[in-house]
Amino acid sequence: MSDNKKKRSSFFGTLGRWFRRAFFGPGRELLDAEKELENLSEEEREERARKMDVEEIVTPFKQYLRGFLEHKLAVGALIIVVCMFLFAFITPLFFPKYSDNYIEVTQQNMRPNMKLMNVPARLKREGIKKIDSYGQFSVGLSNEGNVFVWGDTIVGTTGINVKNIPDSVKEANIIDVAAGFDHIIAIDDKGRIYGWGSNILGQYGKPKNTYSDSIYLPDILPTQTVDPSVIKKLACGYQVSGLLMNDGTLYLWGNGKTCNNLEKIYYMTDGKSNVDDFAFTKNDMVVIIDGKLETAKADRYQTIHAVIGDEGYPLSDYLGDRKIVSAVADSTTVCLMLSDNTICFSGDFPAQSVAIPVLSDGEYFVKICAGDHHYTALSNKGRIYSWGGNILGQCDISEIKGTASDVFAGANQSYVIDGEGSLLAKWGHRGYIFGTDPNGASVFQRIANGGRMTLTIGAVAVVISTVIGIIIGCISGYFGGKVDIFLMRVTEVVSAIPFLPFAMILSAFMGRVAISEDTRIFIIMVILGILTWPGLAHMIRGQVLVTRENEYVTAAKAMGVKERTIAFKHILPNVISIIIVNLTLDFAGCLLTESGLSYLGFGVQLPRPTWGNMLNKANNSTTIQNFWWEWLFPALFLAATTICINMIGDALRDVMDPKSNSEK
Amino acid sequence: MGKYILKRVGYVFLVLVILSILMFLLYNLVPSDRAYSEARESANALPKSTPAEIRKNYQESEYRKLQVKYGTETKNLVVRYLRWIGLFPKASINEQTLEINPTGGEFDGLLQGNFGWSYTQNKPVVDMVKEPMKNTIFINIFATILALGITIPLGIKCAVKRGKPVDKVMQIATIIGYSLPTFIIAILFIWLFVAVLKIFPASGMKTPGSSYTGIVAFFDKMYYLSLPLIVMTFSSLGGMTRYVRASMIEALSMDCIKTARAKGVKEKVVIYSHAWRNALIPIVTLVVGWFLSIFSGSLIIESMFALNGMGKLMIEGLQTQDYEVVLLMQMFYVIISLMGNLLIDIVYGFVDPRVRVNK
Repeated sequence: MSDNKKKRSSFFGTLGRWFRRAFFGPGRELLDAEKELENLSEEEREERARKMDVEEIVTPFKQYLRGFLEHKLAVGALIIVVCMFLFAFITPLFFPKYSDNYIEVTQQNMRPNMKLMNVPARLKREGIKKIDSYGQFSVGLSNEGNVFVWGDTIVGTTGINVKNIPDSVKEANIIDVAAGFDHIIAIDDKGRIYGWGSNILGQYGKPKNTYSDSIYLPDILPTQTVDPSVIKKLACGYQVSGLLMNDGTLYLWGNGKTCNNLEKIYYMTDGKSNVDDFAFTKNDMVVIIDGKLETAKADRYQTIHAVIGDEGYPLSDYLGDRKIVSAVADSTTVCLMLSDNTICFSGDFPAQSVAIPVLSDGEYFVKICAGDHHYTALSNKGRIYSWGGNILGQCDISEIKGTASDVFAGANQSYVIDGEGSLLAKWGHRGYIFGTDPNGASVFQRIANGGRMTLTIGAVAVVISTVIGIIIGCISGYFGGKVDIFLMRVTEVVSAIPFLPFAMILSAFMGRVAISEDTRIFIIMVILGILTWPGLAHMIRGQVLVTRENEYVTAAKAMGVKERTIAFKHILPNVISIIIVNLTLDFAGCLLTESGLSYLGFGVQLPRPTWGNMLNKANNSTTIQNFWWEWLFPALFLAATTICINMIGDALRDVMDPKSNSEK
Repeated sequence: MGKYILKRVGYVFLVLVILSILMFLLYNLVPSDRAYSEARESANALPKSTPAEIRKNYQESEYRKLQVKYGTETKNLVVRYLRWIGLFPKASINEQTLEINPTGGEFDGLLQGNFGWSYTQNKPVVDMVKEPMKNTIFINIFATILALGITIPLGIKCAVKRGKPVDKVMQIATIIGYSLPTFIIAILFIWLFVAVLKIFPASGMKTPGSSYTGIVAFFDKMYYLSLPLIVMTFSSLGGMTRYVRASMIEALSMDCIKTARAKGVKEKVVIYSHAWRNALIPIVTLVVGWFLSIFSGSLIIESMFALNGMGKLMIEGLQTQDYEVVLLMQMFYVIISLMGNLLIDIVYGFVDPRVRVNK
């Protein structure tokens, strides 16, 4: 045991010693002389140098450092690479809620935009009457009857910009407005209904090519008018809209594919006037008829939760003789207000949701509004509550100054206003700095997490390849003879393996064997490492061959120094510059290969991101043409990293290895 | 020289054998038994009224026959490897008694021209390879010529103007060039030429549905191939230019150049006649190696632009788990890379006598 320990310490001692030698030079005396020199002023030093007529003696490390610092570009590149590493390894810590499998349909392919929550100044000036939003943009109505749109206002690949409000709407005095996923509906004081945005699927009136799954805007609405004084509620779902009148008449229209029971409810309520309230979730809608919840589908939304995560009660048992007064809905849940002023839920909240607040005695909600995954509510005591999904920070209520008299929920935002319509507070999701991908996940967060993966794979692979390269190269060069011939043949075999095809085959075969993704990634690192060492081994062998013939090695041999000591102490330090230079250049190579593999779909598999497979996902002409942020940013990060590493490697080679030379 | 070449060829052959064993082992790692699945399929195809007993017996006998047909009736990997190469006969089977004679069949392996059978396309792999091979070689030769046409003058210019601003800019540009992954360049070019400028089609080999012939067909093909060719050429500019520049600089520092200059030979003659000839030697070896390595490099380009080439064939083979295709592709890549090494060695041997002595 102790013997073992001794051995290890001597090994590390040797390692340390030659490292020190490589960097700080051979002797104490020179260092001391150097220190003395440092104490002198610039002129004195020059004077002295001239007198002595010799060059100033510097240690190899200092020489390298000085040489490297002369390459301004390389220094810049080094800073960038260090920043990349910091970015990839530290930034993900700031996104504890990040998950590889995150999917949010309403946030797909959003442009880089940090202004999702920026209420236009003119709207603030004119006084806010209503704010509504379903996904990517928000629409606001001022007290003066003007409509404002902000957020990511360009709809998908259609090129339609909902910010282009029709002139007729601008001229009219609008009294109510609502936003769907890609359309906006507004009503003016004369009872006319306006719609704009995408109309491909009949979001407002008949589109050019009729679509069999859609229910079109009822004929009486656009031609005649509704009585504006009896409108009870206007709301939009994903691509559907509903208008409820005080007498209980419900008008419904939009794309039936996105709202499964739209058609059934349409026929159920058509021609009758008995609807109390209605609400759209992402895939369904619910109506309240005679105090009861109707979905036209037997089993949907019939289980009630009083708190998030409980087992739930059957709806009719829970209600007893209470009645449902009104309903609001986010993507997956419906919030019901009962006749005794309590609320309850049906549907499932996302993971890590903020709990439903417990109100004090005599306090009850006067208004509840729903975003995509959260609810924001105002109680009769003027307090504001937010609960539900909090992945985008929807429930992090900011401080409210003044008396709140109304609340509105955007898709992932909440706004609080006072009695005059001025904005008291807003909180929620501000936007995506690099946009979102087709799953609605933030490209920035995926780049950070993917960078960690890419850089780790590159680093581990390069370490493996360097270790193998050093061992094979040193042994082969030092011992020569049959060992050399054998090892060089092995090197030849490995270097003859065509890299990309071989790695692809291995990776594809591994896919057939049931192993976890982590093991797979580890094996990819090993494959990369095992296939890249021959170049380095060749170089080291060459260098060792040259060094071996030096006089001092012969002298050491003659003195009877042990073979191992000669190999590690006398020869290896000569090779270290080659190793360092190659380490850098190979690192860039491994990054490229890994991303190439991932790009072809044989590396790290989605949904786990790397820079390579993020680019793979963007590799179709639709994405390349329309969603530039999905490929440009990963490409920029990958390219910047490899370019900078290559620049550093190049500069290092200039500095450390003058023989192979800058000129090359 | 003859001895040297012989030695090198011997080594390459040895390496080829080792690699083919490696490939074969890898290929055999995949858990699949084609004989079994086919036997079961044909048993399932029997009329529904067939009793279970007969069905089972039928499957059993079919299985044995198919095993013999595919040469998988033995677990001995050495025998199977030799059969694949074509140095060991396949077994034969008596149709009635189902007795197996381990060496009764014919030699039927790579050496006999049996390169495997594609089970997704249901035809010999050789037939599948022909068209893609033609395309890949065509694309690669074209791209090589284009790249050489650009990089050689550029590299010479840089070497002559060494240290000047032009050269410094080029140094940075070439570092960027060879650091950029091919697929990023490809995406950028698709975006630029297809989405913004709308000059070229995004992918494909010819106008869909067209049946042009002769010169029209050629121009149509070239129109579709231009973007991949541009991308391929562009992505090889960086590395090549640096290499040409380096060997040119070395050549320019030779004594004969000084002599030539001292004699008052025109600078143009010095550069293009004296220096360039000396620089050519390493460049030629590079070109050979690079031309061969480009085959595997075009994997990404082919899959991006949906070109019917070797790379696409291989990726499709991997995706549809058609491993005999993959195996042959792999051997193709190995042979290409070995031939490259051999060629470089021989060229070096001719050029630099020291290499021959050393080995």
